[in-house]
Amino acid sequence: MNTKPNYTDVELMICLAARSIEDNRTVFIGYGMPQLAAILAQRLYAPNIIQVYEYGAIGPEVATPFRRNMMADARNSYRAMAWTTMNPIIAMASAGLIDYGILGAAQLDPYGNINSTLLGHDYHRPQLRFTGSGGGNEVASLCWRTVVIMRHQKRKFVKKVDFMTSPGYLDGSPGARERAGLPRGSGPYWVITSMGLFDFDQETRRMRLIGLAPGVTSEGVLENMGFEPLVADELKELEPPRLEELELLREEIDPDRVIIGRV
Amino acid sequence: MEVLKSGLGEALLQDVDDVRAWMRDNKSRALVDKRMDEHEAVERFVHDGDYLSYDLSSMVRGPMSLEREIIRQGKKDLWVAAKFTLLDTTILVAGGCVSKIDVGFVGLGRTLFSAIEQGEVETVEWSNGTLALRHLAGAMGVPFLPTRALLGTDTFKHSGARVVEDPFTGKKVCLVPAVNPDAAIIHVNQCDIYGNARIFGPSISPLETAMASKRVILSTEEIIDTEQIKRNPGKTTIPYYLVDAVVLAPFGAHPGTVPGLYAYDTENLDEFFSATDAEAMQRYLDKYVYGVSSHMEYLELIGIEKLMQLKEAERIREGYYQ
Repeated sequence: MNTKPNYTDVELMICLAARSIEDNRTVFIGYGMPQLAAILAQRLYAPNIIQVYEYGAIGPEVATPFRRNMMADARNSYRAMAWTTMNPIIAMASAGLIDYGILGAAQLDPYGNINSTLLGHDYHRPQLRFTGSGGGNEVASLCWRTVVIMRHQKRKFVKKVDFMTSPGYLDGSPGARERAGLPRGSGPYWVITSMGLFDFDQETRRMRLIGLAPGVTSEGVLENMGFEPLVADELKELEPPRLEELELLREEIDPDRVIIGRV
Repeated sequence: MEVLKSGLGEALLQDVDDVRAWMRDNKSRALVDKRMDEHEAVERFVHDGDYLSYDLSSMVRGPMSLEREIIRQGKKDLWVAAKFTLLDTTILVAGGCVSKIDVGFVGLGRTLFSAIEQGEVETVEWSNGTLALRHLAGAMGVPFLPTRALLGTDTFKHSGARVVEDPFTGKKVCLVPAVNPDAAIIHVNQCDIYGNARIFGPSISPLETAMASKRVILSTEEIIDTEQIKRNPGKTTIPYYLVDAVVLAPFGAHPGTVPGLYAYDTENLDEFFSATDAEAMQRYLDKYVYGVSSHMEYLELIGIEKLMQLKEAERIREGYYQ
């Protein structure tokens, strides 16, 4: 397909994520795309999701327009159910009260292990240093289901992450998370990229392609990955961003295009 | 209890009874007027080589005026607890004050990342949550607390945590050691002259951080009467005897925001974060840190017009002052 889509990669990922969020669930939200996905979901599809933020806000109706670095300020915390602090929030995740966590990643491996710390192989002299865990390690360790949203680039999907910041299914062996001491029945659930949607095979714990973005083929997806994921027998055709979603994103939620960018 | 795995990173460890004795001997329970300017507070309570902790940041209610004073005084070799930070660790590193960072979240900007890549600043990995938990352990006077985070990851490997078998159930659990910072700097909405302090809005761990730390400097937007504190004690976040210094610092979080009071100064933040090389960062520091001698002079530099705009720009009041 040669026609250029009338939406950005980021808009696509945000819309896919927003449609996938179940109503009446608690969702641990990180900066950027996860925030926008949650806001969009709340306004269109899942009015009763409870956004949970590590800095203590529970259930805000985040005020828009989105601003760069909007985290923990009055707009982010607006009309919440509760304002607490970090230890109670992490405790609630640990106690099994947080259903989903939505995270980004600089690198991801076939078992959903996340790198957001550094590139390179010498911890003390990284080639490129990133932010580190933030609350990501807690989210991926303690929420029931982790959803990763990331732009689809070959260098980001690697056989082995340079640094495992936050746990996926570790080495992928049966019960690996539980053996490490992580909560039973938790782990990566979906990976939403600009080319498709993945889940994780129940047995092998490997990433499995289950849906294709508009105009994308499974060959195209595989060419753009540094490892070969499993591919489901039948691939869903993912719906492109709907007009209503794009209007809301561009006019109300992120008119300055801080996160969504421009076509 | 058998240790199954040990992180490679160094953790600042202190004997719990030494910490208790410190709290007995150095935290006065007397109602003493603790007001002083930031110069005196930083000079008396922050020292080279200290472990330093601050509270809520990102760009929200960070103790920026105190951080600028720490840089002006040329404090060196600080070991900083970078929980949930964007601005604070970055400016302290840019100012040459930091030799080691406990990473919860480090950012933002090339200055900070290059310093780590070049090995000028050492790091130990934790997470925001486990750093907050270490402050809770320090606040409780216990040597460690268990968590189910960090397990199985390189974050654990480069932390100072341990994995042990839970003596009750036999499951693996991660232990993080208490941290008792030498100094904490916390920006609050209101406090009285003794240090009874109110924080409005969500936060990271202001009470735990104040309880765990040997010295606590509060900067405050406003000083209020103790009578006001007593009329509404439920609003007190930090009780006075944890506090060593009270520094009046309106707009103390600038260029960050204090929710409900003033908005971010995006122009100034852009100036800071666009300083991607050493020279540009030096120009920023020369202008905003070294070019003034106090927070009051800094506010004059920013200008009354700008400050009023930032107040005006913060439209959301409910939940904070209302």
